[in-house]
Amino acid sequence: MPASTKTRKILLVVFMATAVAMLAFADVRKGEYAPSQLGSLQQSTTPELTPDANFAASAYPVPALDLAPGDGVQEVRIYCNTCHSPRYVTMQPPLPAATWEAEVNKMNKTFGANIPVEDSRKIIAYLQEHYSTGARH
Amino acid sequence: MTIREISRRALLNRMGLASVAIGVGAWPEIFPALGQGQDHEKPIESFTGPGPNPHWNSIGPYISEPQKAPLILLTDRPVQLETPREYFQTVFTPNDAFYVRWHLSGIPNAVDLKTWRLQIEGNVNRPVALSLAELVRNFKSVSVAATNQCSGNSRSRLQPRVPGAQWGNGAMGNAMWTGVPLRELLDMAGVREGSLEVQFQGLETGPGPNGYPSNLFLKSLELSNNVIDECVVAYLMNGEPLPMLNGFPVRLVVPGYFATYWIKCLTWVRVLSAADDNFWMKTGYRIPDTPRGNTTPEEMKSGNIKTLPIGRFPVRSFIVSPGGDSKLIPGAPVSLRGIAFSGYGRIVRVEISDDDGRTWSSTALGEDYGPYSFRTWSSSWTPKSAGRYSLAVRATDSKNNGQLDQPIWNPGGYLWNRVERQEFIAGEAS
Repeated sequence: MPASTKTRKILLVVFMATAVAMLAFADVRKGEYAPSQLGSLQQSTTPELTPDANFAASAYPVPALDLAPGDGVQEVRIYCNTCHSPRYVTMQPPLPAATWEAEVNKMNKTFGANIPVEDSRKIIAYLQEHYSTGARH
Repeated sequence: MTIREISRRALLNRMGLASVAIGVGAWPEIFPALGQGQDHEKPIESFTGPGPNPHWNSIGPYISEPQKAPLILLTDRPVQLETPREYFQTVFTPNDAFYVRWHLSGIPNAVDLKTWRLQIEGNVNRPVALSLAELVRNFKSVSVAATNQCSGNSRSRLQPRVPGAQWGNGAMGNAMWTGVPLRELLDMAGVREGSLEVQFQGLETGPGPNGYPSNLFLKSLELSNNVIDECVVAYLMNGEPLPMLNGFPVRLVVPGYFATYWIKCLTWVRVLSAADDNFWMKTGYRIPDTPRGNTTPEEMKSGNIKTLPIGRFPVRSFIVSPGGDSKLIPGAPVSLRGIAFSGYGRIVRVEISDDDGRTWSSTALGEDYGPYSFRTWSSSWTPKSAGRYSLAVRATDSKNNGQLDQPIWNPGGYLWNRVERQEFIAGEAS
């Protein structure tokens, strides 16, 4: 019967589309981080493991971090933290003021951070004041 | 004061806890053989620069990450961890001590293998999707010992310093990788004529907008590159599943190449009919087309420096132990041990010098695990008298590539391979 064939065809297409979608979006849990009070000091525990297909690791610890207090620190904590923790700032050696400006511009243009101009200006000024050559102690 | 009390105080003094509270002058008469300890504990500095990082490793605190031994923290989100020096005493680096470097914060915490498939797609005749079980059971496995080294390993040595992950020497490791040859998977899917490159994508994602490098990390190799035939899609690392942070369930192994191509949690292998112009190929991870990738900030600014995508890593060698944190005894032979590797050919010679490179003496090489593996070396060396010593180490590979003493500089902080040195102090023994 033509109607039944058509229904079957539609069902087949729906089924195949679902299968393809399942292939494309494998069940992955990611980007789980947890604040860590003791950070580098506390031992982690082994999570409970079960013999199913789910292979899991615990959340990745994010120890508390002191940023130099000052104007712009809030903007750094909010905008920069979208993609990476501010440890990316404190890890750097003292950098020339122009390098910090170039870094923030790179985040905005190349990496699409798109931070409002006024806030970008504050972030650059903060990094230059606290983390540039001669300023850091 | 009882002897017991003095003894306790002397001990405390050596531990640096009671130097103020005790009359130091009294105890050497009772314990003539005890020396002076340092009077306080010195924490490592919180940053280095503008000079070079003077330490073998980077300076971060130790951190316990899932499935890992305590490693040196560079960044926590995304995760970048450095392997401490002592783990390089063996030819294979333990999985739990293997360094970690991610670009984007969306790192897998869990992968459900019921739905996960490795996909070979793009400009192919028959797209292929394989479960981990199929990769393990349906293909004959191959194993290769290969060094994985971050492009920016030792970046903290450069002068002037450059921004980026401030690695010491520990962004490297060697493992026995077991898996399926990439070529077999490409052949199974049937690479169409006119294809140029093959692109690799893992499960790593970032919160950046679509089409930006903050959203996806993608790397490609030219199909005409001979290394394609040496690539392995590895599901075992040193005979065990990969830690999540090192790329579970499978990782691309590109022997001899810097780790930027070794895509972790590899899920999409995409055959391209045009050159990959995504940021991570066209802009990021590029080196000056100059000897050793060496240039200057001025030359870079001039715009006359042509750049290339980074590729194979140059020859390097290290003194691993002793690490210079203990004084040596004049006349007593010291067992020097270390590693060497090259992305261009097997290590054929490792030499040490204790006279600032005027004369070099050869060392004994450890077992040969193939051209891309670490090669251990060892040598006996004796400080003749009390004083300061500087030992230098250099390696040569089968293509006669060696190491120079001159530093290099490039804006990415890549390809560092100058001769390494270790300072030793021998004390007076009587």
